[in-house]
Amino acid sequence: MSQSQLDIPIAVPAISPRPKLVFQDPRFLLVPGLILTIIIIGYPAGDLLWLSLHSVSRFGRILGANAFGNYRDLFLDPLFVASIWRTLIWTVTVVGGTMAISIPVALILNEEFHGRGIARTVIMLPWSVSLTMTAVVWRWALNGRAGLLNATLMNLGVMQTPIEWLGRAHLAFCVEIVVGILVSIPFTTTILLGGLSSIPRDIYEAGAVDGGRPYRLFLHMTMPLLKPFLNIAIVLNIIYVFNSFPIIWVMTAGGPADETDIMVTYLYKLAFQFGQLGKAAAISIIMLTILLIFTIIYATLLMRGKQSSVAEEV
Amino acid sequence: MKKPLKSAIYWIILSPLMVLNLFPFAVMFFTAVKPRNELFLYPPRWLPNHFRWQNFVDMWQQTGFGTALFNSLYVSITSAALAVILAIPAAYALSRSRFRGQRAFGQYLLVTQMISPMVLVLGLLQLLVLVGGIDNDSSLILIYGAFNFAFTVMMLQSYFDTIGREIEEASWIDGATRLRSLIRIFLPLAVPAIVVSSTVAFINAWNEFVIALTILRSSATYTLPLLVYSQVAGRYQIEWEQVMAATLLATVPAAIVFSFLQRYLIAGMTAGAVK
Repeated sequence: MSQSQLDIPIAVPAISPRPKLVFQDPRFLLVPGLILTIIIIGYPAGDLLWLSLHSVSRFGRILGANAFGNYRDLFLDPLFVASIWRTLIWTVTVVGGTMAISIPVALILNEEFHGRGIARTVIMLPWSVSLTMTAVVWRWALNGRAGLLNATLMNLGVMQTPIEWLGRAHLAFCVEIVVGILVSIPFTTTILLGGLSSIPRDIYEAGAVDGGRPYRLFLHMTMPLLKPFLNIAIVLNIIYVFNSFPIIWVMTAGGPADETDIMVTYLYKLAFQFGQLGKAAAISIIMLTILLIFTIIYATLLMRGKQSSVAEEV
Repeated sequence: MKKPLKSAIYWIILSPLMVLNLFPFAVMFFTAVKPRNELFLYPPRWLPNHFRWQNFVDMWQQTGFGTALFNSLYVSITSAALAVILAIPAAYALSRSRFRGQRAFGQYLLVTQMISPMVLVLGLLQLLVLVGGIDNDSSLILIYGAFNFAFTVMMLQSYFDTIGREIEEASWIDGATRLRSLIRIFLPLAVPAIVVSSTVAFINAWNEFVIALTILRSSATYTLPLLVYSQVAGRYQIEWEQVMAATLLATVPAAIVFSFLQRYLIAGMTAGAVK
């Protein structure tokens, strides 16, 4: 379309002729994506439900229905019960630690200061590295003899002899939690920065004129306005961390003695090392149910956010 | 207002986190350039006595890094393209039409977005056994494409909503068919959103581990994360200088590209994830 055509006022018919889509119904446009996702996501989910309700050979052959036998076996399995507790600790500490660090980091990055661009890039850096590679690097850095963490701490005089970081389950799990927090900070900070940038600056000026002290402004103005973003960051992090496999798998593979297993790593062992497919399918279904619950919470939060922003516009 | 004192305080507060973020890169670099006989010297130390750049060449030749790099690029590019090509029409329909089932489709997208490949891994393996897709990179393309579909649609839709209808309507009046105006008028306007969402889809595929671990068997099909993992898993002797050379080569280009795109990614992510 040339510029001159735009300039000429043309008589537009009252009802613009709205050309039809290639197919009459817009729903045809959804079909290709629907087909792919139903095959790749829907079919395996249904298959897992089916497997979880049957006894299954280690090669995936259905041997017969066993109602909820797989689920019963799971909850009688002390390793699974231990992995549930560890999943809970893993999720709560990683998400809690991530939020506790990301909130101040986002507040600082939202301010103007010298070198902010560099600081932001460095803080976002872990996001660009795959969890697998990060975990491999940390596994070497934490090596009990020659790891460079030991080298650093010994050079600084913090300790005299090297520590076997991944040798004992308790310490290994703590270290994995720290790595989990480090890799979750960039995404969380990003969401919070998005929230902070939506808060208009002038409300602070108004607050300062009214004599509000900085920490009171923070408590009574920033936090309430940031709350929807905090909620979303928490729920999304819970979902991601709960599902997170590579860090623990690469660093300790659930060991030593299965004492750092969480549900996902135990699921992987049951399915691909122990050949207990029925029980593995049952864990998958339990996890899918938990994910579904969190998805509903997330959707509710999103809807509430939308309604409040509509209310503001009105 | 930029005050030197304020800047200094902020840098001091942020520095522990920044040190921890840079630490893995330093570990990769200083290990990758160490001769093998210096790796386990006691007490452990950072600097090598002499730098051995040959490690990179040895690693490239001995681990099949080139093949894995090619596989990773192939899988990530095609799966991102697949996700975007399927998502554009869906996002266009959601943004421009009202139809029965729209809410249900939105909920379906949300659920498929939240399900991680990890939870379905056993079911996916069974499906691939059924259709003979084990040990094949093309299976990864379909799987990554499907798992990236939902957020790509959401991200594109939120951007499409911001493109005014007037421009398209003007071209209809000029007699363009809807398909023609979609391709010639609408999509060029949507290029920023398409770039951002395909970059995110690319990164997700580039980093994916558990599905690759489960379905790839022969080293000729390995992607980069799996290649690196295969160098450390279940080995009696791990050649750490080569492993770190491989992670460094696989990581640094991605990190550089990422730091350039970061600003756009952040804008796109928050639009897709939060709005």
